[in-house]
Amino acid sequence: MNALIIFTLLLVLMLTGMPISISLGLTVLTFLFTMTEVPLEAVALKLFTGIEKFEIMAIPFFILAGNFLTHGGVARRMIRFATSMVGHFHGGLGLGGVLACALFAAVSGSSPATVVAIGSILLPAMVKAGFPPRFGAGVITTSGALGILIPPSIVMVMYSVATNTSVGALFMAGVIPGICLAFLLGLTTWYRAWKNNYPRQPKATFAERFKSFKEAFWGLMLIVVVMGGIYSGMFTPTEAAAMSAVYAFFIAVFVYKDLNLKAIPKILMSSANMSAMLLYIITNAVLFSFLMTNENIPQTLADVIVGSGLGVIGFLLAVNIILLIAGNFMEPSSIVLIFAPIMFPIAMKLGIDPVHFGILMVVNMEVGMCHPPVGLNLYVASGITKMGITELTIAVWPWLLTMLGFLVVVTYWPSLSLALPRYLGML
Amino acid sequence: MLSKAVNYLEEALITFLMAAATLIIFVSVVHRYLTGVSIPGLQDFLLTINLSWAQELCIIMFVWMAKFGAAYGVRTGIHVGVDVLINRMSHENRGKFVVFGLLAGALFTAIIGSLGVMFVWDNGAHYFFYKLFGMNLDGLYEGPTTPDLEWPTWFVYSAIPLGSYLMCGRFLQVAVSFVRTGELPHHDHGHVDGLEEESNEVKPA
Repeated sequence: MNALIIFTLLLVLMLTGMPISISLGLTVLTFLFTMTEVPLEAVALKLFTGIEKFEIMAIPFFILAGNFLTHGGVARRMIRFATSMVGHFHGGLGLGGVLACALFAAVSGSSPATVVAIGSILLPAMVKAGFPPRFGAGVITTSGALGILIPPSIVMVMYSVATNTSVGALFMAGVIPGICLAFLLGLTTWYRAWKNNYPRQPKATFAERFKSFKEAFWGLMLIVVVMGGIYSGMFTPTEAAAMSAVYAFFIAVFVYKDLNLKAIPKILMSSANMSAMLLYIITNAVLFSFLMTNENIPQTLADVIVGSGLGVIGFLLAVNIILLIAGNFMEPSSIVLIFAPIMFPIAMKLGIDPVHFGILMVVNMEVGMCHPPVGLNLYVASGITKMGITELTIAVWPWLLTMLGFLVVVTYWPSLSLALPRYLGML
Repeated sequence: MLSKAVNYLEEALITFLMAAATLIIFVSVVHRYLTGVSIPGLQDFLLTINLSWAQELCIIMFVWMAKFGAAYGVRTGIHVGVDVLINRMSHENRGKFVVFGLLAGALFTAIIGSLGVMFVWDNGAHYFFYKLFGMNLDGLYEGPTTPDLEWPTWFVYSAIPLGSYLMCGRFLQVAVSFVRTGELPHHDHGHVDGLEEESNEVKPA
């Protein structure tokens, strides 16, 4: 009964269009003032301690690093390197876009940022080279989603905050699915380009490839810093994030010299703006999940579902459907923070691996970012290409279908995600 | 004039906190590894510096950044909601819901701010100010301190009332300007400064 009131209230408040963080917070306050005996001091304390975890602080650092990379010419050099490697296949620049997105995803933790970084440079070039705008927009919008699957990933940090799963293990688990998805998106791109006979690039010579690799080297090294640092135990994920922010700053300003020192305060401020928004949602989501745990909602729900004999297959199907629907209304961070605490206990009772469950949620979020009405990648791509959302929606279909197919594979084949962290002894 | 000063302080504060927290963690990590390298003189010197408080300071800085940045975010329109439904309404009805949402934000932040004031007051601020002015301290509680830096927690936590009240003010400010002009601040995620000009020079490889 209480559960029903909480969720109805939350849903109604959200549909009025107020910020998600505010609707979460108001739901909690209304409930506390009218229905329960939880002392207000406990709530006040939660408000302060909600984000006092060092793990969470990886989020602002990764956002800052991403902004330095976007503005600092790293993306441009990665695109050159990628196109010199795969540009001679059918749909050359498109394939280059997929590869560049995958590379950029390995240094950035956000998927709209990946679309911005790669798309704003590559899309105009693709149109100039004779590709239909729809094709380019479809490739970049969907490949940009790799940003949250290939580590580092802000959404994975959110999941780890909500469920106490190891960030390091989640990052490692994202590597193989990320590479697989990049390959599948590339295959889709290649097939469509081959069928429609889109232009190819002249094959780059070895010397050209080496030159572009050398230029992109400092950016690519960041992958080693972050992943190597976390895996070898040199850094915690948060420290790795801070190191990557400093490293990205250093190469953008002193090595590539694409970034003027005068531009730094503005980048710091816009990173702080974005981080504060996410941290504010986290604070209120922590409050909300505190309320739910206090009312025993996740546990009761878990008992009901386990008792109903739904089973692992049925439950995972339900999870996918619910998350895909939620992806129509909210952005990924909020979805993960609201749904993970509810679904996680059920998944644990059914014996699903916490890391596998996390990867499944992340892939779901990727799909949600690429389709209307709220897919952030779509809006970003629409801003770059000046195409309408409806036209873009049609444009992304072939790649979106590939992603949905991949989602089924990830859902029912846990080893795909778990093999690498297990091999590295992180599970 | 005052509002301009507040705007400037707000922006300067979050910019500073972001940069400082990053540097602190960077320095503490570098310090940790350099102390393991035996360079005569330098190693001994580094070993005398204790940076175990770095994590705590970083957390405090980011909590402050989160609170004041959230207020700044209201001004830049970065706090997004589910607007699928209200965007389909008539212009007039949509406006009503927008104002409702903004006022709800103001209400929530005002409540949180007030809870925060009570909490901070009871956890040491009361004692601190009475002591400062030489008033009667009977039955007052000095309040806990943070584990590493040993700062009084009431001071650290005063970010909540300060930030929340500021955010409340921002919500009201945006609501007033929306009623007057019908315009809302809007954050453009796709905008990158300087990339527009650059994109023209990139030639396909």
